[in-house]
Amino acid sequence: MDEALLTDWLRQASGHAALTIRARELLTGGAIQQNWALQVAWPGGQEDWVLRTDSAAVLAVSLPRRAEFALLQVAYAAGVTVPEPLFLCDDLSVTGAPFFVMRRVAGITAGHRLVKSDSLGGGRAALVRRLGQELARIHTIRPPQPKLGFLGVPPVDACLAFIANSRAALDRQRAPRPVLEWGLRHLELNAPEPLPPVLCHNDFRTGNLMVTEQALTAVLDWEFAAWGEPHADLGWLCAPCWRFGNHLREVGGIGDRADLYAGYEAGSGQVVDPERVRWWELAATIRWALIAIDQAERFLSGTECSLELALTGHLVPGLEWNILDMVEAAHA
Amino acid sequence: MLEKPGAAELLANARDVLLQELLPNLPEPMRFQARMIANAMGIAERELGASQAKAGSARAALEVAMGPGPDGGDGRLRELAKEIRTGQQDPGTVDHAVTARLLREYTRFRCSVSAPRSLLGRG
Repeated sequence: MDEALLTDWLRQASGHAALTIRARELLTGGAIQQNWALQVAWPGGQEDWVLRTDSAAVLAVSLPRRAEFALLQVAYAAGVTVPEPLFLCDDLSVTGAPFFVMRRVAGITAGHRLVKSDSLGGGRAALVRRLGQELARIHTIRPPQPKLGFLGVPPVDACLAFIANSRAALDRQRAPRPVLEWGLRHLELNAPEPLPPVLCHNDFRTGNLMVTEQALTAVLDWEFAAWGEPHADLGWLCAPCWRFGNHLREVGGIGDRADLYAGYEAGSGQVVDPERVRWWELAATIRWALIAIDQAERFLSGTECSLELALTGHLVPGLEWNILDMVEAAHA
Repeated sequence: MLEKPGAAELLANARDVLLQELLPNLPEPMRFQARMIANAMGIAERELGASQAKAGSARAALEVAMGPGPDGGDGRLRELAKEIRTGQQDPGTVDHAVTARLLREYTRFRCSVSAPRSLLGRG
């Protein structure tokens, strides 16, 4: 990354002609994205920013950064707790890849720490209530949204669309997956009536939530966001796979459903339908299994030699076990 | 004849060294990778130890549910997957309960290798 070019660009974008980058540090770097902490200063001012960019390997896909920036803008404007999006750069001559800059937010995201702590985020009950309110706020974003045109037309029936998309994903796989079919058939036989579409974050879970001791400070990772059914986000957050071993705390290993639902209802004025949440919880488990299969496939096909991807495939049997439990509980 | 100790024993022992002797002395950023390696070794060890009898019982359950087929592997599972999708194994059908038990057996076996902790506290 050429710091002089980046500095020039940031000076123009921010309007601070004397801006300098005082420190730059790689926060997280993966095969797909990188996050850099930037400490910038100008006469009379200093701020902490994060620059989020694609790794060189995925240059061809510039839409995700632009889309993510637009999602952050819309969410920020709706009052969702996200880092303030500042500037977007599509010009590859600056750093070699598209990037955007957002304000840096304090906190940690580590799931295994969050589920063990009784105090982080203001305490379990308060944090889970807040998560409900936060989801309610996200779900105030409804189509049409000119900035979110890339999301396409909302599905007429989000439940049936989920089943059809999942079956199409299964048909692309090399191995048959009768347990996932079992779960999907159960969903099909018990699909609820459609609800008006809202913006779903679609990865709102422990691990993507930044917290300090006092409160939630940011909802991160918006790249799966899509038009959908509000209970989808509640179900994803409650799915057994995001409890980081703390299985008794059904909301992401953090807290209890009653607090989540109370927070959501207070924030939205809508009553949570627990049966619909259960429906989406099973859907969430199937969805994560499909993602895990895809990730293992990236290893098996030789595209990426990553032990983490290889091990992700071995999560599938445990998820299938959860799926059988959920279907059985629904029949009981 | 191959020398003893064999693959499963070697993996188990190497994994113990990794977890008990190396891991505590590794810097924090490398511990996640060390745990992943231990996890991979554990899966490999269990897969080596997964007896033919256990694999056979999962297959036998499949044949009880579907009748014997020329192919005890993916072909039968593929048929089962198709039947489930098209409603031939729905609640109320004659095969439903047998299929539910079969899927448990099949998944229990797969978990015993890949994710044994999923089975804790279950029958």
